[in-house]
Amino acid sequence: MMAPTVRCDQLSVWYGRHPALKSVSLSVQAGEVLALIGPSGCGKSTLLRAINRLLDEVAHIRIAGNVWVDDEDIYQKGVDVTTLRRRVGMVFQTPNPFPFTIFNNVAYGLRLTGKRTQSELRRVVEASLTKAALWDEVRGKLARPALSLSGGQQQRLCIARALAVEPTVLLMDEPTASLDPLSTARIEDLMGQLKGQYTIMMVTHNLRQAARVADRTAFFAKGELVEVGLTRQIFTAPSDRRTEEYLTGRYES
Amino acid sequence: MRRGWRAHSIALVLALLGMGVFLAIVASLIQEGLPAISWRFLTGWSTSESIGPELLNTLVMVGMTLIVTIPLGLMTAIYQEEYHYNPAKKRVATLSRVRATLLSAPTIVVALVVYRIAVGWWHWPVSVLTGVLTLSVINWPFLATLSAQALRGVPDSYRQASLALGASRLQTTRGVVLPAALGFLVEGWGLAFARLAGESAALIVTAGVNVSRHWSLFGPGETLAVHIWYIRTEGVSLNRGAEAAATGVVLMALIAVVVWAFGRLSRLLGGAQPPSQEVR
Repeated sequence: MMAPTVRCDQLSVWYGRHPALKSVSLSVQAGEVLALIGPSGCGKSTLLRAINRLLDEVAHIRIAGNVWVDDEDIYQKGVDVTTLRRRVGMVFQTPNPFPFTIFNNVAYGLRLTGKRTQSELRRVVEASLTKAALWDEVRGKLARPALSLSGGQQQRLCIARALAVEPTVLLMDEPTASLDPLSTARIEDLMGQLKGQYTIMMVTHNLRQAARVADRTAFFAKGELVEVGLTRQIFTAPSDRRTEEYLTGRYES
Repeated sequence: MRRGWRAHSIALVLALLGMGVFLAIVASLIQEGLPAISWRFLTGWSTSESIGPELLNTLVMVGMTLIVTIPLGLMTAIYQEEYHYNPAKKRVATLSRVRATLLSAPTIVVALVVYRIAVGWWHWPVSVLTGVLTLSVINWPFLATLSAQALRGVPDSYRQASLALGASRLQTTRGVVLPAALGFLVEGWGLAFARLAGESAALIVTAGVNVSRHWSLFGPGETLAVHIWYIRTEGVSLNRGAEAAATGVVLMALIAVVVWAFGRLSRLLGGAQPPSQEVR
């Protein structure tokens, strides 16, 4: 068995005095898709933001426990957050392309590291857009504003932007929550293609989506990891009563 | 009857009334001042019949003030909005209080303080330079407030996306936040120009009410707005009413042109509001 790409050990997070995550231990294997499900406010998004340390930007946050990404203990002193965030890409709930051109959106992350020749930029931008299944739709229109794209295209652009800096892990926070069914299907197809190349952790409220896309599924409630297992097993034979109640729509937090 | 027509028509009448009063004032000013405006009036250097030096002083003083205060205001706003996400922090609270106090202080009071320090302690002359210093102190809180509003208008999701790509706060501010806020900022700079060009009392104290034959930073720097006040109160010319009106027309035209130009530039740069993230 391969070493896990992401591993949390006894991870707890507090917003001020309010606990958001309680002692969560979880491993994610390289190349798998893990879905995080659970009622709103159960800590799923907090967990995602702990893995690229985006939580650092929140005031009054307190974090205990350890998180390893590729065998690096990321909350150790001296860890370079920039390098970490380049290895761990993130896609957000609402498509949030910058108000720049399509090209500059994808090139943004590359330019952060400094010198890149124009031809190199062009090559990476094309490769990233191709990986994000958007290239055919925007070829020859790279100088257009990103905000002129449709919502689904914007979200795929955001995925391309994240892929451009060559991460190993992708965090997706309800990536299709604001999209129509057709765009959602396209993103799900895309995730199927990315599976194996990237380790993907995806928060979703769409249980069918978790069932369609994820290899394994983790169920959270009130900041606790209730259970995690193969998606098929979680959906057909959950071992915890709360999971079953949630899946059948009877869970009350 | 369509619903809401009554409120609608009342608002319309009030708006037309307000516009009518404004137009009447402008029209009477133009009627009185326009005949006195000539090329010689605009560019001549002799104080009594021309406003060349005043025009130059206005442009130089307001221009220099903007050059000084645009970066200062922006830096203040960036510190406050981008680096301190906890506004309860003491330093930020103090900064905001200083800013709010300065912003609401009457400009003449600010000018008296600047006069005391610059002229009294440092022995600067009452001059263009002292005027610039005064205008800068007046303008800094205004631009800091406007800039902070512009930065606050940039959706947080832009910052999140940039940080998640490994950008530092500085890179995020420079690469995403400022470009997204630029339209709003530029429009604000136009407003600041208008506000400064109309400043009079503060400059009477610090820049003086006359001009010298040889223009210099250390020479007296009467501006257009001060000139209007001066010839209305101290002027001896028989024609002073028309001269003041003509100066007023020039000042108004100058402000209108600048505000229009900054507005155009702002729209070119993406408009006053960062584009909303519509999801279609």
